[in-house]
Amino acid sequence: MRDTRALILLIVTALAAIPIITGGTYYAFLGIIVFIYSIVAIGLNILSGYAGQFSLGHAAFMAMGAYTTALLTKALATISFFAQTGLHILLGVICGTIVAALSGIILAVPALRVRGPYLAMVTIAFGWVVWKILQEWVSVTGGDLGISSIPKPQIGVLRLETRSFYYVVLALFLAALALQVRLVRSQFGTRLRAVKYSEIAVASVGIDVYRLKVIVFVISAAFAGFGGTLFAHQQNYISPDNFQFFSSVFFLLAVLFGGAGTILGPVIGAGVLMLLPEMLHDFDKYRLIVYACLILLTLYFLPNGVMGLVTRRAKAQGATDTQASGDDQTAVVLPAVSGAELQIENVSRAFGGLIALSDVSVRVAAGSIHALIGPNGAGKTTLINIVSGTYRADSGRINVDGADAKITSMHMAARQGIVRTFQTLKLFGNMTVIEHVVVGKARHSRVGLWDALVNSRRGKEEDRRQLCEAKALLRLLGISHLERTPATALAYGHRRLVEIARALAVEPRILLLDEPAAGLVAEEIRALAVVIRKLKSMGMTILLVEHHMDLVLAVSDRITVLDHGAVIAEGEPADIRRNERVIAAYLGPSHAAA
Amino acid sequence: MYFFLQIALSGIATGAIYGLIAVGYSLTFMTTKALNFALGMWVMLGGMLTYSLNVQYGIHPLIVLPVVMVALFALGLVAERFSVYPFLRAGSDVWVMSTLAVGFLMIDLAEIIWGRNPTPVPPFFGKDPVYLGQVSILPQQLLIIAAACVTFVGLDFFYRRTLPGKAFRAVSHSGDVSSLMGINTRRIEALSYAVAAALAGIAGFLVVPLTLAEPQMGTVLGLKAFAIAIIAGLAAPRGILICGLLYGAFEGLVSGYLYTGIRDIVGFTIMIVALYARPEGIFGRRQEERA
Repeated sequence: MRDTRALILLIVTALAAIPIITGGTYYAFLGIIVFIYSIVAIGLNILSGYAGQFSLGHAAFMAMGAYTTALLTKALATISFFAQTGLHILLGVICGTIVAALSGIILAVPALRVRGPYLAMVTIAFGWVVWKILQEWVSVTGGDLGISSIPKPQIGVLRLETRSFYYVVLALFLAALALQVRLVRSQFGTRLRAVKYSEIAVASVGIDVYRLKVIVFVISAAFAGFGGTLFAHQQNYISPDNFQFFSSVFFLLAVLFGGAGTILGPVIGAGVLMLLPEMLHDFDKYRLIVYACLILLTLYFLPNGVMGLVTRRAKAQGATDTQASGDDQTAVVLPAVSGAELQIENVSRAFGGLIALSDVSVRVAAGSIHALIGPNGAGKTTLINIVSGTYRADSGRINVDGADAKITSMHMAARQGIVRTFQTLKLFGNMTVIEHVVVGKARHSRVGLWDALVNSRRGKEEDRRQLCEAKALLRLLGISHLERTPATALAYGHRRLVEIARALAVEPRILLLDEPAAGLVAEEIRALAVVIRKLKSMGMTILLVEHHMDLVLAVSDRITVLDHGAVIAEGEPADIRRNERVIAAYLGPSHAAA
Repeated sequence: MYFFLQIALSGIATGAIYGLIAVGYSLTFMTTKALNFALGMWVMLGGMLTYSLNVQYGIHPLIVLPVVMVALFALGLVAERFSVYPFLRAGSDVWVMSTLAVGFLMIDLAEIIWGRNPTPVPPFFGKDPVYLGQVSILPQQLLIIAAACVTFVGLDFFYRRTLPGKAFRAVSHSGDVSSLMGINTRRIEALSYAVAAALAGIAGFLVVPLTLAEPQMGTVLGLKAFAIAIIAGLAAPRGILICGLLYGAFEGLVSGYLYTGIRDIVGFTIMIVALYARPEGIFGRRQEERA
């Protein structure tokens, strides 16, 4: 820790010394541009690197900031009050950032309904529209000629020349970097990173993923807009050329090259890519070729960017540091569970012509373990999907404790206390076990984005409390020794338990387990049965979809059997075992007759 | 009224070009859930090759076309192998960047080979407009509409009536099941990129006499075609053709009655709004995420 601080201090000192050592203004000028581009790249890194949402339109947000401040400050500079106090610059920077953020909302609301390539393409189109408007709306933007003689940066009466502006931008850049660190290390940041790996799993713990993505998009746009305002005042002249599609590609390349989803990645990326053309003469002619090769080489050989190389080495050195501090043995009491009654009433659902469920009714008593079994294609998973809000039912009702739960989406179901696990595991990539549980706790977290940004004391206390609760949960499931292990490094059985831990973190009243024993060996299944019984003893209501009959018969209070989308039997395990229709459904009619 | 018909008709010719390119996006999206982000640059390559062969070497257009198609088909296979497949196999989204990178390479190489200056390519079958009543149309535009129709009918026939075409559709439906049925999924996926490149080549060949031959000629075409593919629904090739033609006519009308500068702003804005209203596209079927 002390080493890191010393290193940071050293680097900052070195950066501060650059204008003094090199004399002249050339390097100071270059430094300013690198810092500004780094600020934009940091914003993009939060969106694309951490949250996994590619944007190829960030130059447009930069343009929004730049043009807003350029127009505003030029207009205000004629008023002597502003010209003397320099307030117009401050106002321009603030307004430019806000305008960029607002245009971020305008794009994010439609664009984030889609993912992956769609999103990338929509952002390209947006960048292109903005660029075209800058060219065409001549009366305001000056068209291709752009806007010149933008007021120079100034603080109060002090006009900033290149070298003094360098220090201002350096400070702003460091602030942006610090903000990024706070953001991604907070609970908000943990949720953000989870979105990159599985949106559906994030929704399953009650987080409104769409809203979260819009928020992070707007934050990212604000960073870009802020960078744009600085750019305008630094250059004194802007034109549509500064904000072409290629600039957007440049920023995404910077993030990927430096290391997407790492703190210093965007800075290294922006720095290297900016300085590279300065070093190679006659480079401009083959700019695209060089960048294209750089993109391909990065993707091939540095999938985690430059920072990927650095952290890999660091990990190899510090691999023994697993047992973390702060594991205070103060007994944390898990919140009391009050299992709810679940009533599935006359639910039907068809996929095209295929009727997956027809008029299915199941009553799961509060605090009981209710198993749902049936041959493949019987509609078990569809039913779980409907109860958990993954699919909508065509008709029917879901009641929780007698009241209509009105489930319209996964996160709404989770907020009603209905939480599920997934048959095909949906874990958050290489995030650690404890982070999975922390994401699950989002619903009960009293801190959000704001606490992360200002690093409030309340936030820190809340973080500590949540961490203790998360650890207690892991202890309950017997995996507390794996707390710091990335999910990708876990054994299969442990991954299943992490899914359950994440679901329990939501403090559900009804837990839906979708084939939790799939792929487990006999010993793991026995351990799972112990866990399920423990949950029941705490008062949890559990709906269990499972193929392993040993497990079902061992833990269930009641069993409902589905076949071809309809309920064919319901009763206690002993009755179901002997039920002829059930035997026929599983083994064919001839066996039932025998 | 004649003015309306006039600009709508020439718009449809442009729309046929968009449709050809957009179907290319759709083909690869259906088989691999990925696509060539720089398909517009491939259109440019088709156009520049046509310029070289037809204008510089004086080869007849009917010979130029198959040469362009074969060349782009082959290059498409190569590009897929190196800029798409490695990343898809790793389950990564970065093919967005790698296909773009290939496109950038193509632009700069084209500038080195052919220079930056736009050069005209004479229409293949004369310059005198053909009159249909009082509405006139250029022979090149007629050729475009005819060629696009033939290509579409051919593609449709291929997909629905021939065995390899059926294999394509099977892979689009479910790659895993198809490979269990003995279909070489990998080959089909690679072929879909090659066919998309060849379609882009046809589009470049057809459009270059209307625009000018220059290394930047494909960029906007590719973007618009993508917008159309999204509006129609990436998984609905027939819908894409219809949308392409309508979009072309719409664009003609906007430039005819309003002014050209605003054309693309309106078009892309429509795409963003359409996406909000129907993320799966006008002709697409809503798909729920499998849990």
